Amino acid sequence: MTSKTPSQTPLVTVRGLTARAGDTMLLDAVGFDLYEGRVTALVGPSGSGKTTAALALLGECGAGVRLSGRVEAGSVRVVDGDGITKEAAGGLRGRLVAYMPQHPGSALNPARRTGAVLAELARLHHPADPARALAAEALRAAQLPAGRDTERRFPHQFSGGQRQRVALAQTLVCRPRVLVLDEPSTGLDTVTRMRLAGELAALARTGLAILLLSHDHDLVRALADHVVVLRHGRVTAQGAPADALPARRRVTAVRHTPTAPDGRPPVLDVQDLSAHLHSRGRGPVLHGVGLQLPAGACVGVAGLSGSGKTTLARCVAGLHERHVGQVLLDGTPLPVLRRRSPEQKRRVQYVWQEVRSSFDERRPVAEQVARTAVRLRGLDAGEARREALDLLGRLGLDAGTVERRPGGLSGGELQRAALARAVLAAPDVLVCDEITTALDTGATAAVLAELARLRDQHGTALLWVSHDLELLAAVAHHIVVIDGGHVVETGTPEQILDAPRATLTRQLVRAMDLGTALTATDLATAPSVSGA
Amino acid sequence: MRGYALQRLALGAVQLALLTVLVFLLTSLLPGDAADVRNNEDATPEQVAALREQLRLDRPALERFTDWAQGVLTGDLGTSLVSGGPVLDILAESAGITLVLAAVTLVVVVPLAVLLGIVSGLREGGRLDRSVTSVTLALNAVPDFVLALLLVAGLSLQLGWLPATWVGVGAADLLGQPALLVLPVGVVAARMICLLSRQVRAGMVTVLKAEYVTQARRLGVPRRTLLLRHVLPNAAVPGIQELARVGDNLVGGVLIVEAVFAIPGVATALVRAVEARDVPTVQGLALVVAAAALLFSLAADLVCHRLVPRTEVLR
Repeated sequence: MTSKTPSQTPLVTVRGLTARAGDTMLLDAVGFDLYEGRVTALVGPSGSGKTTAALALLGECGAGVRLSGRVEAGSVRVVDGDGITKEAAGGLRGRLVAYMPQHPGSALNPARRTGAVLAELARLHHPADPARALAAEALRAAQLPAGRDTERRFPHQFSGGQRQRVALAQTLVCRPRVLVLDEPSTGLDTVTRMRLAGELAALARTGLAILLLSHDHDLVRALADHVVVLRHGRVTAQGAPADALPARRRVTAVRHTPTAPDGRPPVLDVQDLSAHLHSRGRGPVLHGVGLQLPAGACVGVAGLSGSGKTTLARCVAGLHERHVGQVLLDGTPLPVLRRRSPEQKRRVQYVWQEVRSSFDERRPVAEQVARTAVRLRGLDAGEARREALDLLGRLGLDAGTVERRPGGLSGGELQRAALARAVLAAPDVLVCDEITTALDTGATAAVLAELARLRDQHGTALLWVSHDLELLAAVAHHIVVIDGGHVVETGTPEQILDAPRATLTRQLVRAMDLGTALTATDLATAPSVSGA
Repeated sequence: MRGYALQRLALGAVQLALLTVLVFLLTSLLPGDAADVRNNEDATPEQVAALREQLRLDRPALERFTDWAQGVLTGDLGTSLVSGGPVLDILAESAGITLVLAAVTLVVVVPLAVLLGIVSGLREGGRLDRSVTSVTLALNAVPDFVLALLLVAGLSLQLGWLPATWVGVGAADLLGQPALLVLPVGVVAARMICLLSRQVRAGMVTVLKAEYVTQARRLGVPRRTLLLRHVLPNAAVPGIQELARVGDNLVGGVLIVEAVFAIPGVATALVRAVEARDVPTVQGLALVVAAAALLFSLAADLVCHRLVPRTEVLR
């Protein structure tokens, strides 16, 4: 166990690191140190230069980017005044610094067995040691069962959560001294994220220096010893998490009881809905789910990844065709999407995660957003455009940004554009599926304010799907918890948070506050998550 | 892997059964029959009817099909209506030449196309890539018969370096006279190198940009290992599928090339049998060629699944 005294010599030193692409400064005189056994976090909104700075440790930069400054890892000079040094080529990547990318699923070669890649990397970096033993050790460190079964599998034979572990095992088998993790908590539900935090803390205790890139302040607060805040490529603050990060702000409640008088029939009524993946009822994902959504209300749907939340949303949106049971809009059954009338399409809108592929790459985003109002509400092009720009502005996207093509927008910006695209239809029911996961705090607040306005002015009812119970408690007047396709608990946010009855609800409540959860003794035995 | 292989084999068997029915149906749709064609115009209708009965062409289609299918299952493709000998003999005679031609072409095409594809994929957009692309696309744009006639006119007739036709050559003499092969193989290969190298190049370009290749590089995998173990297995998939299609063409016989060089291969035999309404021969040849095509695509699917095992049999 290494001590955490600041007098320890740093393993990696970064001083005055600057990155230029043409006239644009991506990084401006960035400096930080990494120490053995300690977690340093690079924090900042997307586009602040976190990844550029991290890749500089590997002696890597994008095409057309010029690095200067000083980066030293161990005894290797990686970057000097003239850019990346020749020394950086050998013995640095993998052996000294290993990088774990943001979407580890696509970082695994579909043609290679897990064990073969691990053994290859082990032989490459540690030819003297037995490769199989190193591979087994890396699998154990990444919390995967070591053994022939795991080693013989191909990446597609693992679940999404396991693939992340396989990618982690690949970095660990190189036995690096520095581990760089790029947004490791993206896309994880809160319970799985809590487990990940515990595992990373355990890795740091083995003496690894960890560089954590994240905009997830809760994760950083729970893990990091030292925080470096980047904004527009500059270090704006650094220090202990409590000093460098803004105080933890709970999502302010924008919830209010539905304005519709009691007794009025709900605008959306889901009755005994069951859905399956394959024809003839094989692969069931939802079992007899029912919920009512009054006009102007917000119903939250909570659950882990793989619990059937998104399938429920897709059934309401008419995109999941293999279901039985009914979805009623004002008492009339809604058919699947391709049989809906334009008016039905307008009244039920759906915003989902991972929206990039839903935009045409060749046209400006603003044009595509405005198109909804033309198609579904019959506005003329000029009027639709004004409304679109207005709405996008309220969501924090200025006219200059949205005139670009989708490729020029970040994930969070596109997510808000997708929301605007749906809201412009003036829907009566809006289905929101994890629409805030890619957003920072400011953008989330703008989205919540806009949706509150929509409910007040237009009486739109929201069906809000999320794994984040804290967020749901802030926006919903009623919460439905789904586990394995069954509704396991329903109630008001107060009932759910204060007196959770189902096991899953208790886990979700406990995972709400990562900082508290991590200091609690039960972290090491955090619930194992099936199908994560 | 085993589950996939079994499913794929089952699919192959179903395809083969359907194919057998289809070959029979299509050949029975040919206008006129051997009795019509074989008699000259002054034969009386009675004579034609008698011949028809003798050739057993007057029985119902279903009966003829079951007879034929039983024969096929026992390895007997029937008797030629024209020569009176077994269809297998005709097949053996023409297939030998076609197989030699196909094998030599593949030996020339595959290494060359793979090499060109890899090299131009590695230097995407570079000078070498652009030259290879221009030359192969230009060759592909020239029709087979034009290229064949140009080569014959230049190399055979003007310069007299190579024989222009195969008249009077059997499969047995072929290996003794490799000069005969040069022109036909050259013409067929010109097109196939283009098709194949384009696919290999496209595979390389896509895979080189894949995130898993970037990640392997970031973990310190050296360039040589990266190419051989991480890039090639994935990049080879479109190339192998293309190779199966190219193989079909070769075995089915490249009709135009056979016609230009007077090569007595499968395509020539098939055309001759159709002209004579020699239905058993047409059926036999078509069945064997089609079965070979099925076999190629089966092999390609199994190899691709072995390389990148996430494909499904049917979607």
